[in-house]
Amino acid sequence: METVLSTDKLTKYFGKLCAVNRLDLEVKRGQVFGMLGPNGSGKTTTLGMLMGVTNPTSGSFTWFGEPASHLTRKKIGAVLEHPIFYPYLSGQKNLELNAMIKGADPANIPKVLELVELTQRKDHNYRTYSLGMKQRLAIASALVSDPIILILDEPTNGLDPMGIAEIREIIKRIAADGKTIILASHLLDEVQKVCTHFAVLRKGTLMHTGPVDDVGKGEETVEVVAFHDDLSHILHEFRGSLSVKLEGGKYQVRMREGFHSVDLNKFLLEKGIVASQILTQKKSLEKQFLEILQETQETGL
Amino acid sequence: MLHLLKIDLKKLTSYRTFWVVCGLYFFTLAFVTASGMEFLKWLASKGAEFGANININRIPLYHFPDVWQNLVFISGLFKIVLAIMVVISITNEYQYRTIRQNIIDGMSRWEFLQSKILTNVLLSLMSVAMVFVIALITGLIYSPQIELADVFSDLEFFPAYFLEIFAFLSYALMLGIFVQRSGLTIILLLLSHMIEAIIKVNIPDVAVGLKDFFPMQSISNLVALPFARYALQQIQDYVAISAVLIALVWTFLFNYFAYRRLKKSDI
Repeated sequence: METVLSTDKLTKYFGKLCAVNRLDLEVKRGQVFGMLGPNGSGKTTTLGMLMGVTNPTSGSFTWFGEPASHLTRKKIGAVLEHPIFYPYLSGQKNLELNAMIKGADPANIPKVLELVELTQRKDHNYRTYSLGMKQRLAIASALVSDPIILILDEPTNGLDPMGIAEIREIIKRIAADGKTIILASHLLDEVQKVCTHFAVLRKGTLMHTGPVDDVGKGEETVEVVAFHDDLSHILHEFRGSLSVKLEGGKYQVRMREGFHSVDLNKFLLEKGIVASQILTQKKSLEKQFLEILQETQETGL
Repeated sequence: MLHLLKIDLKKLTSYRTFWVVCGLYFFTLAFVTASGMEFLKWLASKGAEFGANININRIPLYHFPDVWQNLVFISGLFKIVLAIMVVISITNEYQYRTIRQNIIDGMSRWEFLQSKILTNVLLSLMSVAMVFVIALITGLIYSPQIELADVFSDLEFFPAYFLEIFAFLSYALMLGIFVQRSGLTIILLLLSHMIEAIIKVNIPDVAVGLKDFFPMQSISNLVALPFARYALQQIQDYVAISAVLIALVWTFLFNYFAYRRLKKSDI
């Protein structure tokens, strides 16, 4: 697959503070790439360097295999941090300005306004927009040049649940068009729902990178509910159980590798217990993320 | 190039403050430059109260070729208004952080600066055209007889006036890029002459020749005060080449410093 973005030991210092530390990333065409990390982990600084507003201290990066310039930026649609527009211009005029800068066809404007459902408010001044509308206009502006790649930084920050769902829908629609998307977020759930690949940053250092599908591979946890006085004891007896925990009236059984819920169910039946609920839990990205952060903390990073 | 100018104009033409400030500027400019005779009449009537008899018809304020330097000099005093507009335009970009989005959208930093410089050129040219038209019309009205040779002499004041405005707007733009906050930038802009004057007063006598090399002084030196000639004093009724050269160097430096700053900073 064609490489869209590749960074080579990208580094940024603010004074003595190292915001991004020798970052090597690779994003391929068609990926929805999630950048995860706690607040202040260097996500926005990294994107700022990739988009030419922050000067790297050292290291380099290429877009589409060529050294970055303002011309490569025209092929990218990007919104960093919060939406930025001229408050005294209408949504329509702001997009016209974006299109002029990007050298995009202004005929795209009605299309992108429709996509983010702002057509009705397009002639109102930007300063009258709600936060959700501002975020949606930002996505529209990123799409106006029909870019090959889209960069979104915390696109659902500060939105209500409905707004979050709307933005997520829009992102999925765009991804379905085959566009490459880089999504920075600290919302793990969001990344798991829309991304194909992800990277974890902590204090500017890359901790992990890989496909989202790999998350949840390996050991399973099975949730069991059954009416039996000595269930805990019996579950401990099961050959495949690593540990048993009672959480909210439900037993969480961590399984040894190679054991699955079917085996546990069989075992319980043999003991004459009929489970009223038995459920395999996939490891969430959240768990994985916390594990990655914890591991690295232990190794002293 | 034209494309970059269009981008900056698109930002400004929907901005009400821009129209208000530019409207005020051109209205005041037109009003003040065209009402010199009314001013002289008022002066004469005041003088009459004190028993002095001023024959205003003997003051050729609007006669060719005097009218060129007279009006260009007066108009130069109003350039601060245009400069404030330039400051608002550039500091808005920092305040709203739109400069960041412009770069993200694919402008280079140099292109961004160019778009601002081109607007400065346009504003300067408009000011030149405005003053030229008013001077031409008032000259045609008030000159007792129109000699083509008089009409076409001393026109070098217009290129000098253009440089005067453009140099000052370049200075305002640079100040805006360095300070980034509108209020502080405007205060510094207003105080520039005074700060420079304080420095000039304190330079040692041996270096007195340096005074003409100061930036604000060099801009003022382009067009000298003409009115003393009506009190029978000698005035500088030409544009000094040395003044032009010094002002040109400063204009280049203002824009170059702005470029350097923009290039090096994180936006």
